[in-house]
Amino acid sequence: MTRPSGLTLYAFVYLAFLYIPVLLLPLFSFNDGTIVAFPIKGWTFQWYRELGGQEIMIQALGNSLFVGFVVSLLSTSMGLFAARAYVRYRFRGKGFSEGLVMLPLVVPGIIVASSMLVLFISMGLKPSLTAVILGHTFLALPFAVSIMKSAFDDFDASLEEAAFDLGSTVFETFRRVTLPIVAPGIVSSFLVTFTVSFDEFVLAFFLSGNQPTLPVYIWSQIRFPAKLPDTLALGSLLLLASVLLLVVAEYFRRRSTK
Amino acid sequence: MTQKNIIELRGIEKRFGTFVAVTDLNLDLREGEFFSLLGPSACGKTTALRMIAGFQEPTRGTVLIDGQDMEDIGANKRPTNMVFQSYAIFPHLNVGDNVAYGLRNRGNSKADIDKRVSEALEMVELGGLQARGADELSGGQRQRVALARALVMKPKVLLLDEPLSALDKNLREQMQYEMRRLQQELGITFVMVTHDQYEAMTMSDRIGVMFQGRLVQVDAPTTLYAKPCNKEVASFIGEMNFLPAQVTSEQGETVTISTPGFGTMEIGRNPNVKAGARDIDIGIRPEQLEISTEEPADYDGTVQGEIRDVAFYGENVHYRVLIEGVAKPIAASVPNYFHTVDFQPGQKVWLGVQSASVIDLGQDQSDT
Repeated sequence: MTRPSGLTLYAFVYLAFLYIPVLLLPLFSFNDGTIVAFPIKGWTFQWYRELGGQEIMIQALGNSLFVGFVVSLLSTSMGLFAARAYVRYRFRGKGFSEGLVMLPLVVPGIIVASSMLVLFISMGLKPSLTAVILGHTFLALPFAVSIMKSAFDDFDASLEEAAFDLGSTVFETFRRVTLPIVAPGIVSSFLVTFTVSFDEFVLAFFLSGNQPTLPVYIWSQIRFPAKLPDTLALGSLLLLASVLLLVVAEYFRRRSTK
Repeated sequence: MTQKNIIELRGIEKRFGTFVAVTDLNLDLREGEFFSLLGPSACGKTTALRMIAGFQEPTRGTVLIDGQDMEDIGANKRPTNMVFQSYAIFPHLNVGDNVAYGLRNRGNSKADIDKRVSEALEMVELGGLQARGADELSGGQRQRVALARALVMKPKVLLLDEPLSALDKNLREQMQYEMRRLQQELGITFVMVTHDQYEAMTMSDRIGVMFQGRLVQVDAPTTLYAKPCNKEVASFIGEMNFLPAQVTSEQGETVTISTPGFGTMEIGRNPNVKAGARDIDIGIRPEQLEISTEEPADYDGTVQGEIRDVAFYGENVHYRVLIEGVAKPIAASVPNYFHTVDFQPGQKVWLGVQSASVIDLGQDQSDT
């Protein structure tokens, strides 16, 4: 880059437009007042302190952590095997099946949510955390598959053959060679799919029933102006956690493709 | 004492879909020999090696190792170990753990593993480097680790897939000698796949040449060089001048031929060619040709020609000589002695050849 051109300026304006609203969230979470408007009245940690006492919120947080954990476990393990097959083997219907796995990225969430609700109810599965886990696994799978594919891309197939050649069984080869080598990819996929599930609202809103996840809880609180600063504090914490998780995930993803 | 066969390949064929990678492969490998499978890329040599290793099952035919049928026996249960083209050093393990990998599968005691690993590393001149990380190794060291990791298993057969192709020229030559020395010291059968004729010739006891899925000739390097069985092999191994010739008469092991320029000669007959062949190809190695300003005496075939061009190779000089009746110039190579004759392009010279140096290559199959 030599000098700022019109395009550079455009890029900065674009980034500001994207991120300044997001940055307002943590800013007002420290505001000593219930109305979200400038000027800032004063600085306080009150809203953060209040968070600790809200049992329903803590329960919703627990739900979200549980769902996120199970979803990341399911989607990462499925992604691991799917990605290995996609990278290693050629088989009939490979392109079609890869396309199908990636489909959740482009299908509108509201369509997925409403059709899953209909499907689950017709199968006798009431809206619950189980339903949310199934829905979120569907959404998270494309992320897991893409991350694990990039981990397998630079993985020399003769490493597995060498292990096999040196007397390992297929299972031992997987445990002693494949897993350790793609481990950074697994960690990265775990963190990303966890974040996908943790932040997701539409599916959780349709499928969670009377066991709200954190985003659903936040939405329900936003309607009460008095609760708004609490929600801002909570949102800021979530924002921080998400950013940290994604940074760590990206670090591991890059390590796996090094 | 006759040597025992350690590997026997019987009527092997391998197809990938409709593509025939290897066909009609029959080959006996002797215990303790250094054998190379030589051929251009995609000739089926690597597939053949991988069928011995157990990574691929033949579509038809039998692989016997030490007399035992290997059908349904996976690579992890075979008495063979492989050095991969990429070396396949486990990146998450250090040198010691890489070499110990196979022994741990066998459940040897820790003391025994440590002892064998250090012996194996000693053997490939990496003694004491157990703790070195896989990413801290040079190309040559990676190759040595791969060798040690396979040899520590004391395999009956060591399989090497283009083991030197990733190394630079000097290192490659050094490793050729070292691998040959290792093989002779250990007495283990080595089977190497390579596309490099010089590598195959310098290291091997015997070479099998493959083209398009077929094993065409199996012989010692000297025989392969002196008596290639057809034009294909002759052009792949070393340099060769090809000339057309007519067979005028056949007498047992010799044939009398008439060839443009050199005239009539009696040469050794190619045992692969059926009797009654009329038009054949003959081959003459460039270094077998005498080149001089006067007609050389005591040569079975002589011809006059004109120097077309000169190429200086260091250890020898290549002259290309145009002779009447042959479109392509004849290559003649002369060792670069300090007193060597020095010809210039355009100069008239004589070429001479002994009939013993003329190779009957049989009928050119592409013509029929």
